[in-house]
Amino acid sequence: MITFHIPAALREFTGGKALVEISMSESTVSDALTALWRLHPGVRDRVINEQGQVRQHINIFVGNEHIRFTGGLATRLEEGSQISIVPAVSGG
Amino acid sequence: MIGQVVGHWRIIAKLGEGGMGVVYRAHDEVLHRDVALKVVKKSSAIDSSGRQSLLEEARASSSLGHPNICTIYEVGEVDGDVYIVMELVEGKSLHVMSAGVGLSPESVLRYGIQIAGALARAHDRGIVHRDLKTTNVVVASDGLLKVLDFGLAKRVGGGVLDAPTMSFSTVQGGSSVSGTLPYMAPEILRGDAADARGDLWALGVVLYELCSGHLPFEGRTGFEISSAIIREMPKPLGPPVPPGLWAVIQRCLTKEPMQRYQTAGEVQAALEAVQSGAIVTATSPDAAQPPVTTMHNVRHARVKKGDFLLLVGTMKGAFIFRSNAQRTRWELAGPYFHGLPVYALVFDGRAGQRRIWAATASYWGTMLRSSDDFGKSWTNPPQSPIRFPADTGTSLKNIWQITPGPADQPNVLYCGVEPAALFETRDSGENWSLVRGLFDHPHRPRWVPGNGGLALHSVVLDPSNKQRMYVAISAGGVYRTDDAGLTWTARNRGIRAMFMPDKYPEFGQCVHKITLHPSRPERLFLQNHWGIYRSDDSGDNWSDIANGVPSDFGFPIVVHPHNPDCVYIVPVESDVFRCSCDGRLRVYRTRSAGASWEPLMRGLPQKEAYETVLRDGLAVDAQDPVGIYLGTRSGQLFGSHDEGKTWQKIHDGLPSIVCVRTAVIEDGSIMPVEVSKATRAPASRKSVRASRSRRRETQRRAKRN
Repeated sequence: MITFHIPAALREFTGGKALVEISMSESTVSDALTALWRLHPGVRDRVINEQGQVRQHINIFVGNEHIRFTGGLATRLEEGSQISIVPAVSGG
Repeated sequence: MIGQVVGHWRIIAKLGEGGMGVVYRAHDEVLHRDVALKVVKKSSAIDSSGRQSLLEEARASSSLGHPNICTIYEVGEVDGDVYIVMELVEGKSLHVMSAGVGLSPESVLRYGIQIAGALARAHDRGIVHRDLKTTNVVVASDGLLKVLDFGLAKRVGGGVLDAPTMSFSTVQGGSSVSGTLPYMAPEILRGDAADARGDLWALGVVLYELCSGHLPFEGRTGFEISSAIIREMPKPLGPPVPPGLWAVIQRCLTKEPMQRYQTAGEVQAALEAVQSGAIVTATSPDAAQPPVTTMHNVRHARVKKGDFLLLVGTMKGAFIFRSNAQRTRWELAGPYFHGLPVYALVFDGRAGQRRIWAATASYWGTMLRSSDDFGKSWTNPPQSPIRFPADTGTSLKNIWQITPGPADQPNVLYCGVEPAALFETRDSGENWSLVRGLFDHPHRPRWVPGNGGLALHSVVLDPSNKQRMYVAISAGGVYRTDDAGLTWTARNRGIRAMFMPDKYPEFGQCVHKITLHPSRPERLFLQNHWGIYRSDDSGDNWSDIANGVPSDFGFPIVVHPHNPDCVYIVPVESDVFRCSCDGRLRVYRTRSAGASWEPLMRGLPQKEAYETVLRDGLAVDAQDPVGIYLGTRSGQLFGSHDEGKTWQKIHDGLPSIVCVRTAVIEDGSIMPVEVSKATRAPASRKSVRASRSRRRETQRRAKRN
């Protein structure tokens, strides 16, 4: 089981759910995201752009590690992995 | 060839003939069964490499092994002729079965599921049909559907097997495109490589034809059909076609491949869902998704007939100001889209609509949203409706401008976006497509971003000529189309680009805004990055009209709704210090098409006021007398209801204002009033006095009552 932590701004597209669990065996972040937006299509275009790239100011963590440092979307997941989708912090 | 033996097949009779070759009924002398044998003509435009490819693809197709795909038994050559031996399917084509009247929805679903299943199998094996049509689908006497000619169309340049309908062949970029025109996807007509999604478009055409008995895109000539495929939306299918089935067809027939179903399996699942009675939406399989977002904890405007609206986009959300026709007391509604920049807003009142369009930007992407209830609820589409096609390698950054199309085409709108491009919808925003003629312009790679990014920020329609339109790009300059967007030419002669080595280049100017008056559509006004210009010949030539203004640097420029010689600007000091000149916020007006300008300042801050009004921060209404409104980057909103002579502060303390738009409600319907199409003389002082007198009399009567 993989668990997504959904930020408040996207819960409109997950039926209000803050946590979305997906039954997956060994897989990658990319596989898990694809499964997420198969369940909740509205999340997709908020997280990646039309060219399939994660939006510039959106960060994805597996556990406490930013996937930027663990292999990007190819980061391997294990049973029980927790994925967080987090917008960047900035001011203005 | 009747009576001849090819391999171990004896030819019995001729069944038909098409552009590719002749089809015979033959008898298998070994297995004692009848087969169909196609002999490909030597003259069918297949060269030696094409013949080899045809053989390879036919052999690949022979391994598909699906009950709804016509089985190919053998492919070979005899005396230089390619022959294909395949299962003999005796039955009626879907074209014959549906001609004129169509089939029942139950039959359409049953056949559609089988076709989608066949496509799914082929696509999984890397085989694209490329010529799916109702004449290529036969229902055998036992009721089993068979899709014919899988993988055979690709290499056939001269035509298509057994095509009774118009076949189309052209050469683009050295590669041959083949198929049957009414079934061809827009991207294939544009010369893009055909992929499996082209088959899904064709499946949408087939489903439409089965439901209605006629094609969704028709015309008297190939040009008309192509134009309809690229630009038009199919006529909606009502009862007895269930909404779910129509939704599936619509999604198959989405112009942009990225917005279609991506696999045949998805189409099959959607059709099965309709068949089983499940609800299917056109845009999302997640039926639980709310199509709109209701704005709670926001003060809404109570809008009624005769009211006047100011729509204000800021860096932290949108606001609606409501007033009556006097435009002196204002009720504030909002903020809508808390914290999000709203660069573009517009009211669309055509054909009785009550729709506000807004573009929001955030970390989560740029979204185009609309409200039909003055902001109480807004669409929040699961999928971003404005998206660059995959082959462009480009992604949307911002929507800078939303422009309704002609009054008599209420389903048409345009969006100018960053990176600089124009999008068009012809179905009220359900589907948007990139205007390729501009995007593919050879100048585009040489446009450079201005300070605000590479933005297409102005879209100006010529009300006298539906084929003509202007756009302005920072920094690319002005471009005009005279053929409804197919081709564009730079129109910048006389406009200075002081930051370029060549001060008067063909393109590359940093144009800040352009406008025209509907009664004189050949005349345009332009606020440049340094320079104010007028063109009297539809943009062919421009001349400087900055006669006596304190600075010719600024952003907005608007034309008086009734007087084509009257124009308003708000100069700022310089490129370096983009604030009102000498700390005095002044609007400048010309009533002589730029021969001279006068400052309008009464009621505007004239001391230590370092303000900036951005390109969409100035707007006019078409009331009598005309109102004019400006919003500043410091969040001040001013209005004048006497054509700029005197100003009142409408609100102070808004977030930084980037966009101001106007609308009025009249006679139960709402009219956009940025620029009136009426040609009238400017309101004279006498007429203004008369109007005031009438108003006072009305007020006196109201008090008495």
